[in-house]
Amino acid sequence: MREITLSQAVNEALAEEMRRDETVFILGEDVAEAGTPFKVLSGLVEEFGTDRVIDTPISEPGFVGLAVGAAMTGARPVVDLMFGDFLYLVMDQLCNQAAKQHYMSGGKLSVPMVLRTNLGATRRSAAQHSQSLQALVAHIPGLKVALPSSAYEAKGLMKTAIRDNNPVVIFEDKLMYQDKAPVPEEEYLIPFGEANVKREGKDITLIATSSMVQVAEKAAEMLAKEGIEAEVIDPRTIVPLDEKTLLDSVKKTSRAIVIDEGHQSYGVTAEIASRLNEKAFYHLDAPVLRMGAMDVPVPFSPALEDITVPTPERVVENARKLCAGELIHAA
Amino acid sequence: MAKSKTNTEDYLRMYRQMVRIRTFEDNANQLYLSAKMPGLTHMYSGEEAVAVGICEALTDDDRITSTHRGHGHCVAKGAEFKEMFCELLGKEEGYCRGKGGSMHIADQSHGNLGANAIVGGSMGIATGSALRAKLQGSDDVTVCFFGDGATAQGLMYEVMNMAALWKLPVIYACENNGYSEYTRTDEIAAGSITARAEAFGIEAHKVDGQDVLAVNELTQKLVARCRKGEGPFFVELETYRYHGHHVGDINREYYRSKDEEKDWRENRDPIIRFRAYLVDQGIASEEEIEAMNAEIEKDATDAVAYAEAAPYPDASEVDMHVYAD
Amino acid sequence: MPHDVTMPQLGMAQDAGKIVSWLKSPGEAVSKGDALFEVETDKATMEVEAQADGFLTGVTAGEGEDVPVGAVIARISESAEDDTPAPSQASAETGPEQAADDLPEGHAVTMPQLGMAQDSGLLVSWHKSPGDAVSADDVLFEVETDKSTMEVEAGRDGYLAATLAEAGEEVPVGTAVAIISAEKPDNAVARSAKATPPLKAEQTPAAEATPPETTEKRPAPKPAAATGDRILASPKARRLAMEQGLDLERLAKAGHPQPYHVADLDTLRAMPDAAPASAAPTASRRLVAEIAHDGLPAFTDWIAAAHGPIDPDAVIAGLAAASLPAAAPVAVERFGQSTTYALPASRALSGVSETEDAPALTIRDLRGTSLTGIDLGGEDTPVLTLTTQGAGLTLTLECKAADMDARAAIQLLSDFAGRVEQPLRHLL
Repeated sequence: MREITLSQAVNEALAEEMRRDETVFILGEDVAEAGTPFKVLSGLVEEFGTDRVIDTPISEPGFVGLAVGAAMTGARPVVDLMFGDFLYLVMDQLCNQAAKQHYMSGGKLSVPMVLRTNLGATRRSAAQHSQSLQALVAHIPGLKVALPSSAYEAKGLMKTAIRDNNPVVIFEDKLMYQDKAPVPEEEYLIPFGEANVKREGKDITLIATSSMVQVAEKAAEMLAKEGIEAEVIDPRTIVPLDEKTLLDSVKKTSRAIVIDEGHQSYGVTAEIASRLNEKAFYHLDAPVLRMGAMDVPVPFSPALEDITVPTPERVVENARKLCAGELIHAA
Repeated sequence: MAKSKTNTEDYLRMYRQMVRIRTFEDNANQLYLSAKMPGLTHMYSGEEAVAVGICEALTDDDRITSTHRGHGHCVAKGAEFKEMFCELLGKEEGYCRGKGGSMHIADQSHGNLGANAIVGGSMGIATGSALRAKLQGSDDVTVCFFGDGATAQGLMYEVMNMAALWKLPVIYACENNGYSEYTRTDEIAAGSITARAEAFGIEAHKVDGQDVLAVNELTQKLVARCRKGEGPFFVELETYRYHGHHVGDINREYYRSKDEEKDWRENRDPIIRFRAYLVDQGIASEEEIEAMNAEIEKDATDAVAYAEAAPYPDASEVDMHVYAD
Repeated sequence: MPHDVTMPQLGMAQDAGKIVSWLKSPGEAVSKGDALFEVETDKATMEVEAQADGFLTGVTAGEGEDVPVGAVIARISESAEDDTPAPSQASAETGPEQAADDLPEGHAVTMPQLGMAQDSGLLVSWHKSPGDAVSADDVLFEVETDKSTMEVEAGRDGYLAATLAEAGEEVPVGTAVAIISAEKPDNAVARSAKATPPLKAEQTPAAEATPPETTEKRPAPKPAAATGDRILASPKARRLAMEQGLDLERLAKAGHPQPYHVADLDTLRAMPDAAPASAAPTASRRLVAEIAHDGLPAFTDWIAAAHGPIDPDAVIAGLAAASLPAAAPVAVERFGQSTTYALPASRALSGVSETEDAPALTIRDLRGTSLTGIDLGGEDTPVLTLTTQGAGLTLTLECKAADMDARAAIQLLSDFAGRVEQPLRHLL
């Protein structure tokens, strides 16, 4: 199978859906000729014109608000939010307006829009351009949240997001834009709420999202050399969440570590760990561990920044302890 | 005020719609006063000419976005009393199945994209609706209702900028009722309201919001120009709310006098003014008007009784409509 | 139809209003929109307008009176002569038609909302008894809420027809606690709030949507485990142990370090069965005999002198075998070494020889050691132990109950004891 970059995969998904459905259009800062700073959208304006690939002023609440209104009246906008950190700017439009229209109207109105943005630290971008804020939006009923972990997922999830009748926030890992993965030439969609078992194992389950999937896969390889067989699962969407696949795996392995690049406290890892605890308690032979980013603003200095995110080595260390029956953090 | 025989029907309809709004609000207020309505509500009484003058210039394909003080827009855009009262009382047959309430009534069948409980919160939605119209080559126009208080929200400037850049068919209708919640507008808004739009090159108008014909005439012109791609526009409508910010705002003397309220009610009431005009012009007799008022009153009474007796939504509805299929 | 005039809800956090003055007199004609009365609430005075045309009649609340929101205080009637009093002071809140089951008819007095964040009140005491006549301003009961005690008045004249809560009970706001009837009741009712189906004010739909009876009954907490210290084990290890009938406490008693995981269950499974003492079917017998004189050494010497050298153990085995109901091989165990002997059919001690057959009895010879008594429990074969006791011996027979019945055990031990004390008897 051919291999393309995550950036090309997103670009292909958008182009295919724009050809398929003329109500789909792109809105955001420097999305047209510039093709975004990450060049993800390069070439789209040439094919679809500035009516469907629209450069906006630097007005995040404004253009997200426009997308909500366009979506409510029959269009399928894909909003480009240049950095995930800018979510804080658009909270009212996304969480008070987009997320609630369907419910508040008793099902009469709907907001079929996609908000494309990104996550991920270690790009030396400091505290306001490095955050992974998926937990923030996953907390809001009415929003769906997709976290592609490779070019393959990025394309399939984007196409599904565009066709979904709800506001979907899709986070791409900005460090992975140039990473290649096998992506079929023929069309495919990845349904929401279906986790992907990336690697099977019987001793411990590593549940990882987005950027952390490759961390978990590396950790699993290292653990295999020690005789510990780790199962690696990528939920792919955290809202909706494929609980069943996660629970089935944990019932099999009795141990789990949940890894996500958002801050650890009150985060995605906490939510998933809590569900495993509630629904697979009597199958657990060890406490479910959370591994998220440290609860600090992302520091600029590489010497500090690299400490803040989970690494394969730390995952291995924790997995080893759990498998050895060490009661981690016991009082 | 232009008069012509062909306008008779339109005029009577405008009068009727204004009385319908006032009657709806009086009944809603009674429901609150008698502790039958959950929560609070914001009365539109006094501002009827604004909603009616504008909405009478629109078709069902044209959209509006409304505000927390939204009953007037909703009635003017064609909503029915029954579904509105049901919504106010949180009943299943309400426009939003009781899930929205007074501040979130949406009536898509008549192009009402919904009231919004965030001050200025619907400006993006209205502008986005206009963007969609332009992109899809549709000639519908969107009117964004908001109050003077909302001019202090940053979103307004972001979306007016884009609307002006892209010549979107949207009319920003600023209902200036003189008060931003419990504060006089001149204490929260520096400079001129219309100048805010003009700074973006948006043509702005100021009109007497108590004169339904003046409002309607201006809106008709602006809507027609919007359809031709000459939008956006901005209109400041000078008006007044008879009640407090909401029904529980009863002691208002610290921010406005009873004399001022009395003056607006007695001397500038849009319904009294238009009624006198209709009689004076021979468009309707006092008897005909009284009969119309009585009929509307009965409609409202019946709708209230219906809503009071209507069932609440089933508990199973609570997690329905979080996500669309 | 007459139009009810109610105390309006005005302020945001208001539950009653004081009538400052009536601006119309009873019987006077009023038009919709006329100022009818003045109310003081939230530190402001408001004029309340008439909502209908007609005549002011049936005024039940006077100037200076505090009236709960929603209470009917007058009517606007079609004629000035209509002097039927307003139907009920709080028809907006609780209509008499709502009176549940067999309660007397009348006006329900509800637990008032007093504090800001209050959802129930403690009924401290009743000031009236069921059946008493009451006036509107009589104190009916006392309520404690938000750390203060309030007296609640009857609110209307009549008879206390029912009390629906007892002193000391916590009653949700809006729940009826009394019924005041116009007529003297035949059978005044006194009930506990627990026994009273909720007679709920219709003030908030939420109250209807979540009726109080849905309050979950909490299951009684499970008694703490009878065993002492809590054992630390993973949820899965606990579940599997329970399913497989394994006792994690045995791991703890054996000193295995906690917490236990699934892997520790293998260790638990491999542990020997529990001590027999605790198992009734494997109960042992233990019989002890004492003899003043050990006759064996002299006897062995005597045989050696008469018949030539002889294995002393063969002599002991022979004497023991002869004591069994049916002759069978007997093992003699000393210093951990064990030899089994068989007694010939002739029962001649000289014919005793070694055998490979399994013994039916073991003689454990502990003579000459410092041990004076033993209690080791039954083993696979009955064991008869010899220990030195002064000049004599102690003979202890231990066996599983299943291996030998009590009579046989007694017979064996007393026969053997006699033979050891006077071996020559064997020859007789």
